[in-house]
Amino acid sequence: MKVPRVPRVRRVPKGLGGLACLVLLIGTSAVQAQDAPALRRHRFVLDGGVVWSGSYSIGDVDAKLRSNAPGSAPPPFTLFAASSEVGGVPSVSARMGFTLSSQVMIEGGGSFGMPRVVTMISRDIETNPQTLEGEQLRQYVIDGALLWHLPLRLAPRVRPFVIGGAGYLRQLHEARTMVETGQLYYAGIGARYWIRGGSGTARSFGLRTDLRANVRRGGIDFANKTRVFPAVAVNVFLSL
Amino acid sequence: MRRAAGILVGALVIAATASPAGAYLKLGAPVDGRVVDVTWRAPIRYFVSDAVASTVSASELNGAVARASATWQGVSSATVRFEFQGMTAAPPGMVDGRTTLGFLDRPELDRVLGATSFLIDTSNGAIVEADVFFNARFAWSVSPQGTPGRPDLESVALHELGHLLGLSHSALGETELTGTGGRRVIATGSVMFPIAMSAGTIADRVLQADDIAGISDLYPAAGQVTSTGGLTGRVTKNGSGLLGAHVVALNPETGAMVGNFALNANGEFAIARLEPGPYIIRVEPLDDAEVDSFFSTAIDVDFRVTYAPRMVVAPRGGSSAPVEIKVLPK
Repeated sequence: MKVPRVPRVRRVPKGLGGLACLVLLIGTSAVQAQDAPALRRHRFVLDGGVVWSGSYSIGDVDAKLRSNAPGSAPPPFTLFAASSEVGGVPSVSARMGFTLSSQVMIEGGGSFGMPRVVTMISRDIETNPQTLEGEQLRQYVIDGALLWHLPLRLAPRVRPFVIGGAGYLRQLHEARTMVETGQLYYAGIGARYWIRGGSGTARSFGLRTDLRANVRRGGIDFANKTRVFPAVAVNVFLSL
Repeated sequence: MRRAAGILVGALVIAATASPAGAYLKLGAPVDGRVVDVTWRAPIRYFVSDAVASTVSASELNGAVARASATWQGVSSATVRFEFQGMTAAPPGMVDGRTTLGFLDRPELDRVLGATSFLIDTSNGAIVEADVFFNARFAWSVSPQGTPGRPDLESVALHELGHLLGLSHSALGETELTGTGGRRVIATGSVMFPIAMSAGTIADRVLQADDIAGISDLYPAAGQVTSTGGLTGRVTKNGSGLLGAHVVALNPETGAMVGNFALNANGEFAIARLEPGPYIIRVEPLDDAEVDSFFSTAIDVDFRVTYAPRMVVAPRGGSSAPVEIKVLPK
């Protein structure tokens, strides 16, 4: 069945569409929801793409020696200080969702990346500050999320959504002698850009981009703290 | 042996020809062509000499020794057992089959606070007898808060008992040269550092991670071997092994530091009984104490402080794959 094309009101550059939409979300007046493109309810949606995760600290430590000073607990002497972080890294991801309605979708998926742990040495009394070469991790994330497509239309082929989810994190040290697991929670906003379909068609496909705030608990972390870092995902989606 | 700030003499030095020790710097004895750890094979039954020093009674000495032995005995990851047998009129240093700790007046050793001597079964490295003397020429302190200007008897007893148990010196510390040619301690990471802190300080009544790793390696408690990990590697300079390089491992999670040396001509080192996890490894020349406090042979100290290029993981129940750390001349 031939489907009439949705008239283009504004062209969004390919690949930048999602990011542009995030900006537009803030400053553009909304259009009625019924004008916005939508996924069909009770359909599966496949996603595949790349997630870039930002770097985050995993702990600072001072190599402390016991000072030669009066008292049972004199202030320590620092031999050197070390600050470690997991560097920003792109991961490949694959996801599958199911539309509960035209606005609400649940999805699950996984990603794999190889972030680098980088350690900076400073305050060494005998040598200059330096950054160690570092080591690589194999990082796996399996997660599930809920998406709500907002009743807004930013452009004829674009529809924003909000997303929240949680996942399981597994980090394997490059020497394969250390595995740490943890949890990943996230919330964010995003947008879909329909290249084809989006208005009553059985199948549609397009681009999707998410901007998320990730909250990570567990995993490799020398201070065992909860860490927050950004992530940006760009996916191709196919609604079956 | 522990000296007041000043000259060092290495009376208790591990042979520098052995394979890398499992952890820490330990006393070794040659048995059948190899060096074995020197350890007690039974509870340590000791006597305390009733000789007194100018500021310390025999019972106060006994109390300080009891507290120091309880500190070693209290290390949960090790199995060390002391049994006080009573006071004795015999001085330490006699080969009499008794382990004795006490004061001796040794005015000629004007910078030696105390020392430990051993009688070892050379067929298996077992300690048969060990005596500790504290130099009575010093005005000692046994005050709970320490006494300004006086060395703390409990701190020195803790150090000497470490030797008595089979530990040698640790190089985990920083010093500065004094105007009289001696060294002043700035800070230490081990009770077993060979130079005592300034008189009046009592901080060395508490064991540090380095001491605990060492004693746990010599006398591991049940499950220690499988619940801890180790690091192995090699320090090289211009492609050749570097004997005597001081290797320090820092646990970035706990801040615990444990040191050891490259102990053979290949520059190989091993640090065992570590909490499993990643470690930052720093290699430095042995330049904060006299070399003969540690080694009976000459070692190369002409190289820069160097870090391993990446953190090395001590796996639970095993050792890391060897890491090579290349150092450069100064």
